[in-house]
Amino acid sequence: MATRLQFENSCEVGVFSKLTNAYCLVAIGGSENFYSAYEAELADVIPVVKTSIGGTRIIGRLCAGNKNGLLLPHTTTDQELQHLRNSLPDRVVVQRIEEKLSALGNCIACNDHVALTHPDLDRETEQLIADVLGVEVFRQTIAGNILVGSYCAFSNRGGLVHPHTSIEDQDELSTLLQVPLVAGTVNRGSEVIAAGMTVNDWTAFCGSDTTATELSVVESVFKLREAQPSTIVDEMRKSLIDSYV
Amino acid sequence: MGPLPKTQGNPKTLASLLHPSRRPWASDGRRSGAASRGPLPSSSPFPPSPASSSSPTRPPSPNPALPIPLLPPNPQSVDGIADPKPPKAIKRMESSEDEEEKQEIEMVQADFEFFDPKPGDFNGVKLLLQSYLDKKPWDLSGFVDLILEQTTVGTIVKSASQDGEEEGDDDGGDDDESLFAVISALNLGRYAGHGCIKELKRFLLEVCSDESTKTKLKLLLEQQASDVGLLVSQRFVNCPYQLVPPLYDALFDEVSWATEDELFCFLKPTQELRDSFRLKYYMLLTRILENKNVNQRKAKQSQDYEEPFIYIKAEDEIFRELSLLSFTFRLHAEQLISHELKNYREMGLVMVVKADDISKFREKLKSLLAKS
Repeated sequence: MATRLQFENSCEVGVFSKLTNAYCLVAIGGSENFYSAYEAELADVIPVVKTSIGGTRIIGRLCAGNKNGLLLPHTTTDQELQHLRNSLPDRVVVQRIEEKLSALGNCIACNDHVALTHPDLDRETEQLIADVLGVEVFRQTIAGNILVGSYCAFSNRGGLVHPHTSIEDQDELSTLLQVPLVAGTVNRGSEVIAAGMTVNDWTAFCGSDTTATELSVVESVFKLREAQPSTIVDEMRKSLIDSYV
Repeated sequence: MGPLPKTQGNPKTLASLLHPSRRPWASDGRRSGAASRGPLPSSSPFPPSPASSSSPTRPPSPNPALPIPLLPPNPQSVDGIADPKPPKAIKRMESSEDEEEKQEIEMVQADFEFFDPKPGDFNGVKLLLQSYLDKKPWDLSGFVDLILEQTTVGTIVKSASQDGEEEGDDDGGDDDESLFAVISALNLGRYAGHGCIKELKRFLLEVCSDESTKTKLKLLLEQQASDVGLLVSQRFVNCPYQLVPPLYDALFDEVSWATEDELFCFLKPTQELRDSFRLKYYMLLTRILENKNVNQRKAKQSQDYEEPFIYIKAEDEIFRELSLLSFTFRLHAEQLISHELKNYREMGLVMVVKADDISKFREKLKSLLAKS
């Protein structure tokens, strides 16, 4: 289910939070409402960790991650790195990388299998993404924008891209990502999709200015309507039983 | 960019108090000729005829590479413009640009157009009103919606589109990224049911520290709400001051026209809507800078006497003189104060002005600008 919320009067919730299937990072804010909204949805399923990166609150745009790992920019302090290593599950590899494009959240968009990156990312960084996050990496642009991490948001089940993405580009991306894509907006027509929302396989959080239409598009493309966290476990259970037999 | 300090309300002296890099319209305060000139916006209250706005009406300056900064096409539409800049001033500026590489002084021509509010302006207006109620989370989106729905009273100022041929586009420019100012008057009684107005009233009562003012305020906000109009006026700090009198004129004219012919709304009879613009009071919520040093009296003799208050929007001083009641309150939000103004603290200011005093306000506003 998709929830609408605000971070201290700003509707750009994707800037102040990072949501994956294994954990959720939330910025340290003035009021506890933001954190409580995430806790209410995710409390028993995945850890919700309050943090800053490089002393800033724009954590959603500075880091990139999925259930396998988390990549942090070189501006992350040692204390923050340690705090994250302690708070996140052990199977999540937390890695700080030296990359001149330090807003990793703007440069990298990923789910658990595929990542799209900024065309000018270093080769070493691309290699690290593939190793730490366990994904296949593609250098791409979205509607002519090189900041792929800002202009699209995708999970393992669907994706939302910049409204001006052409049909051919959408088809190409959809083939690369192996998920259905739709071009749309959040927060009443904002084109910066990933800044206005954050999503994982069973839930999404959008800015409070998101209209009902936009919200229904989000819920349908990410298949959130019937999604429950247990669904993923059920799917895993089927494969586990197969392997026993 | 810092706020405009209020000294005598003369744009020339205002300009000279700001760092050159922050004055988009002037080149350098040292040359007084240059400070009062610079690209002047044509600020007619109606959308201008689609004439080419940037063609100069005098022969080009000796150096064609430099932008020509002067005379708008309709000189009579802008008040208080002095004589054209003498050619030698242009040459001097050129030499200074060679020397000072750091200070890239660029003259920019700008035309501003006044539009009725429309839903497409949402993001621009929301940006301007982000800090309206200090840091408190409230239904800002709902408040912006109210402003934009009220198309009969209210004005949005945008920069004119660069490409003159696009004038065929009738909806008045969709580019709300270039939204510079908004002004509107919302009847507190008419919109009393909306959550954002309730939150706003609660906020105003909370920040009022003085008990007697609070009782008067409470009376205005509750019993007399339908006579009170909230005057929302917000603009970017570096908007040229020539925009301001036409902006307020437009608002007060629209209010008086609305009492005559408010559009029919099927939910309420028209007379009620017309009456909602027969306002007796205007309430304003704005910002000022207050001097942190309490012992100004001693300083009065010395050379560096500082004003006790600096009005970020110069017309607020006129409003405050005419106000029925006013009070200031401290802000909790992070303050961004420039170095020149380090002795000042930003404070919120709430004022209530009688509608009858508005004509005095309009006169004083015009004379404020005419002094330049």
